[in-house]
Amino acid sequence: MTGLIRLSGIGKTLTGQGESRAVLSGVDLTLHRGQSVAVVGRSGSGKSTLLSLLGLFDRPDDGTYLLRDRDITRIPERRAAALRSAGFGFVFQRFLLLNHLTAAQNVAMALVNGQGWLSRRQRGAKVAAALDAVGVAHLAGHRPPRLSGGEQQRVAIARALVREPEVLLADEPTGALDAETGDLVVEALRGATRRGCGLVLVTHDREHARKMDTVLELVEGRLT
Amino acid sequence: MTLSGGFRSALVIGVQGIRAHKLRTFLSTVSLFLGVLAVLTVQAGAEIAERALVGGVELTRGRDGTHVMRVPERGTTPEIVERTLAGRADGVAITSTSAVIGEPGVRPVNDGGTPFDQPRAGSRDRCPDEGCGPDDRRADGRAIEVELRAVTGDVRVFRPFRTVSGRWLDFTTAPSLAPGVVLNEEAAKGLTRYRVPAEMAVAGASAHLTPRVVGVVVDGEAEPTAYVRTDELRTWLPTSPEVDPAVGGSSIEVLFTPGSDELARTLSARLVAAGVDAEQVRVHTVDARENMENQLALMRWIFLGMAALVLLIGVAGILNVGLATVGERVEEFALRRAVGTPRLLLAAIVLAETLLTGLVTAGAAIGTGVVGLRVSGSLIGHPALVGVGFPWQAAVAGVAAGLVAGVLGGLVPAIRAARIPISAVMRA
Repeated sequence: MTGLIRLSGIGKTLTGQGESRAVLSGVDLTLHRGQSVAVVGRSGSGKSTLLSLLGLFDRPDDGTYLLRDRDITRIPERRAAALRSAGFGFVFQRFLLLNHLTAAQNVAMALVNGQGWLSRRQRGAKVAAALDAVGVAHLAGHRPPRLSGGEQQRVAIARALVREPEVLLADEPTGALDAETGDLVVEALRGATRRGCGLVLVTHDREHARKMDTVLELVEGRLT
Repeated sequence: MTLSGGFRSALVIGVQGIRAHKLRTFLSTVSLFLGVLAVLTVQAGAEIAERALVGGVELTRGRDGTHVMRVPERGTTPEIVERTLAGRADGVAITSTSAVIGEPGVRPVNDGGTPFDQPRAGSRDRCPDEGCGPDDRRADGRAIEVELRAVTGDVRVFRPFRTVSGRWLDFTTAPSLAPGVVLNEEAAKGLTRYRVPAEMAVAGASAHLTPRVVGVVVDGEAEPTAYVRTDELRTWLPTSPEVDPAVGGSSIEVLFTPGSDELARTLSARLVAAGVDAEQVRVHTVDARENMENQLALMRWIFLGMAALVLLIGVAGILNVGLATVGERVEEFALRRAVGTPRLLLAAIVLAETLLTGLVTAGAAIGTGVVGLRVSGSLIGHPALVGVGFPWQAAVAGVAAGLVAGVLGGLVPAIRAARIPISAVMRA
């Protein structure tokens, strides 16, 4: 396995209501291609903040962030957007599917983002492949309200995978699902790692965390 | 982000956004529709009014820049004018007199040369208490009265008459004993309606003429008018008819092209030498179109200002809906940023939605304007509206108003959308 992501001494302080709080402090993390890492921890321990930094939603106050040995710690927003489009896939707890679009259109959303342009046929092929990879190709024409929670989350995973990212970041993807459906979703995420994608899974569920290659715990802003 | 990729993405997502909020979009277009329609109506009204008024004024008073001299028609003045202008294309004299076409010795159907659709005075009013004149005792007959304008050259250089049928007078041939006449539409209407014989009586003429109608023109006059070559009329009317002291002296109108000052000075000098008061042959320049355009422009700006206020209400509607929509779509925009959509494209998406809304609304308003003009033209029947096409300037103004409203109404929501923090997606 080769080094994909390296975080060194990452620190992040959040300010709210006039108070500053160090959410992350001296975090070190390495993710290889095809590796899955689970990050567990209590609520407010900084798991989502760590995911925000990994996904370039935010920038760290301290430390260094290397992607394929390239320093992207202070990358400008325009380039960060291009990287998010090409290199990262995101899965959220509440699926975040748009109800006015079909499942296929929701997946295609990641392709219609101003980062290049694919023809309708090319988009259709990619979307169909992504939906097929997570087993919901038959639901392509359905709108989210007609899908079950598990189906919606798998459509969301298809959206994350449609650009064939190097890194998949999942924030409590099974939090809103029952155990059986949650297992299916975790299995779909594991499937992505088998294709060489690195996975960081933030979860409260120790059972799902144990299915990952590495389990890290955030305690008082530090990974252990 | 390639330009085409970003542009296409903004369009695709913008259309999706409009389709997702159909009712809201429709409601926001209602006030905008009225605003665009107001701009459209003002612009179309101004164009139609300008065409009708300015076009008419050029026909009756001449193109701007034309020099006009009025020469009293007495003694040798007609001969001096005609001799001075002979063979000249840069100066044309017009002499007016009355003529009756049709049965001789009868009272014309439009006695006095009035328009044919104007109610005619009844026979009981013909002889008032003071008694009847010789003309009042004539029996009604198949004849029409026209104003006969004798021209020394092609007057269309100064007054752009539009040919309806036939041709204009030909000044290159030798004068004919059967004068060629060109009628205006009103005179042609009388000729067609009353089927009068081809015999023309001109006051002061040595005999009745047999005119040849060679064409029909639009000359901007409401009264029936006929145009004839001066030299052809002179065969039958060697001198001008006696002036009726009760009516006052008539005059010859001489038109000069801009830059023909030398010709005007020559004519003026000859007339003064013949005893005409120099003050009476003063030349003035036509600027009627410019004056009218200035007045119309002022009116247009006043009404456009009012229409802009109505449009502003439409802009406020779009702005209101845009802000509410962005507020509702925080999660969507944050998600789009998470999947790599640049901030600028988010702003472009919102602007694309409002611009598309503005364009569609403008299209609807233009369609309504076109239909409205046709319907009002047929219902109201005003001559200025009949057969008038929808002015393209109004359509351009409508599209511009829709686009401006789209930009103004969408700008603030677009900026807000671009500023939505990406971390909002994590809190969702």
